[in-house]
Amino acid sequence: MTALDQISVETIQAGQPDWRAAQIAEALAAFHAQEVPSGAEEEWRYVELDFDLDVLTLAADPGPAMAPGPFLKTALDGAAGRVQIIDGRVVDVALESADVTVKRLAEVDRIETAAPVDRDKFAAAHLAFATDGAVVTVRPGAVVEAPIVVDVQATQAGTITFPHLEFSVGANAQAGLIVVYRSPEGLEAVVVPDIVLTAQDGAQLRFMSVQGWAEATTGLAHQRLQLGRDATGRIGEVGLGGKVARLDLKVDLEGAGSSAEVVGVYFGEDNQTLDYRMTINHIGRNTTSDVFMKGAVEDHAQSVFTGLLRIEKDAVRSSAFETNRNLVLSENAKAHSVPNLEILCNDVMCGHGSSVGPLEEEYIYYLQSRGISRERAERMLVRGFFSEVIERLPIDTLAEPIEEAVFSRFTQAQEEGRLS
Amino acid sequence: MTLALQIENLKASVDGTEILRGVDLQVPFGEIHVVMGPNGSGKSTLSHVLTGNPEYRVEGSAKLAGTEILGMDVDERSRLGLLQAFQYPTEIPGVKLGDFVREAAEERGLDLDEVEKRIAEAAERFGMTDFLDRSVNDDLSGGEKKRSEIFQLAVLGPKVAILDEIDSGLDIDAVRQVAEAVEAMRSPDMAVIMITHYARILRYLSPDRVHVMLDGRIVESGGPELAEQLEQGGYEAVRARLGIEAPKTPEPELPKASDFFTDTPFDR
Repeated sequence: MTALDQISVETIQAGQPDWRAAQIAEALAAFHAQEVPSGAEEEWRYVELDFDLDVLTLAADPGPAMAPGPFLKTALDGAAGRVQIIDGRVVDVALESADVTVKRLAEVDRIETAAPVDRDKFAAAHLAFATDGAVVTVRPGAVVEAPIVVDVQATQAGTITFPHLEFSVGANAQAGLIVVYRSPEGLEAVVVPDIVLTAQDGAQLRFMSVQGWAEATTGLAHQRLQLGRDATGRIGEVGLGGKVARLDLKVDLEGAGSSAEVVGVYFGEDNQTLDYRMTINHIGRNTTSDVFMKGAVEDHAQSVFTGLLRIEKDAVRSSAFETNRNLVLSENAKAHSVPNLEILCNDVMCGHGSSVGPLEEEYIYYLQSRGISRERAERMLVRGFFSEVIERLPIDTLAEPIEEAVFSRFTQAQEEGRLS
Repeated sequence: MTLALQIENLKASVDGTEILRGVDLQVPFGEIHVVMGPNGSGKSTLSHVLTGNPEYRVEGSAKLAGTEILGMDVDERSRLGLLQAFQYPTEIPGVKLGDFVREAAEERGLDLDEVEKRIAEAAERFGMTDFLDRSVNDDLSGGEKKRSEIFQLAVLGPKVAILDEIDSGLDIDAVRQVAEAVEAMRSPDMAVIMITHYARILRYLSPDRVHVMLDGRIVESGGPELAEQLEQGGYEAVRARLGIEAPKTPEPELPKASDFFTDTPFDR
């Protein structure tokens, strides 16, 4: 296989329509023009990418599918549809709802991406190399109760793959979509997903991703939510896996009266880096946003949260709030939390709060004073800490396995004596 | 006969400052004792030291129903039967009051059917029914927090209940309510130690003994009439009568629970 850097523009363009060939040429030029980002850049601070892009290859064909895990099993139960993307290729589509259509990239005449090609080298790589993907559309006015489930897998070592997903909920329609990311244990690979979420005027979009990459897999996702007039977008992010797992999320509140909520929970162990970069962009008037992220890190893991609330000049009477709370459970674990405001308009309500620290001794003392052992008090507090955010996830079908996954990480760390 | 609580020469210091300077106190089962004293006399320290707050360096002896508790972990003492209603009850985000008392009851080995019954009764009695599904003390008013403390004690059934300033921050109706609740808890299997610096709650309560605490010691003990004397003459009169000089240096500010809070407006 040819390394990514050696692939000629003609090779990728082969068989593509003219509009796409031109796009590929432009994206590939942007890819070559940029360096692999490093922690020296503010946007990538604290993040160390330890793979060599020159030796990674594209996957020739999708590998064999992994058996469903606990998240996927639960999510698929009663789902309105299923899309399976393996190593960047759509391998299976099954729909239960007539209100939903799924097209592959070869069938569309326009590709949307979450980030422009100059965002970073990986955003450019995605647009250049993503040859397949799913464009999921919900008919205007339709109410699709059950979620559509997208099973995204990376299965081949030494590859870099580009899962592509667009999810568009038509005007005044309501629908939800769950993405479950997985890779087999020990798989060294890089995955660069790109997800574009669109809620048309008056639509209610729900989206959740459960990031369960294997611990040797690197995931660098770009994701964008754009909202039309009076549209609502609710996003849930669950971060568990990955060596480095990054989510670069942009929310554009374009339509007047639109609102967005981003709720997230993450738990880092071993040497993981869980990296969340968010920009919430209030463009239309009377828009509201609320970001609520909670995470824990133990052992040598680190987490990063940067959240910029940006209120543009015309976004009068908007409100924007963001909260990020972190439990640092081991001496060598780290959580970085940087909420930020950029307000170009006077008539707004904004606020942010952030905290980083161990479990409160004050709380433990109180629980112990009722006869509860220290270990049990810690478990109750951790469960309580996360239950506040898990309860607010936009699609509740996965609440139980998520709570279980988060909680078992904690009890394991506790039993193995890694807490300090 | 075994005493519910027997304290001998109890000393406690924090950061090298001695706050309790040899407290002696005996509380038999079935009795309600009141410990009164001015701010900084060491009353709250006494309750925290008995509960087992690890911030204090402690010497002396404190026996709960005959068992030495100094040196035990906080939870161990509690399971043995010591429960404190805190002056500043901590807000515990995400832990629901109902689940909390259930888990606490379970750790004490109580019969769980019996516990459900007690929860229902006590919640009704102290107006906590609507709070069982809410986080412990979260967003509660001062009075509601105090009621929540009494509710927890009523469910868990202590041998020794320490009520630290249970009457502070309450309006007069709430004070009466709390006092009635304390009287209602009175049983031959339990002792109550009520710590306060106001006599007003004693209007609705019939304590067996009143103790006066000054400068980290109990300096006088007597019947309920002692509280009335205090109400009239104040603590300075006690000093004058007993010939105790006021300490030369002002007492250090005691740490309060509120010193540890890191609330921001966006906590939820």
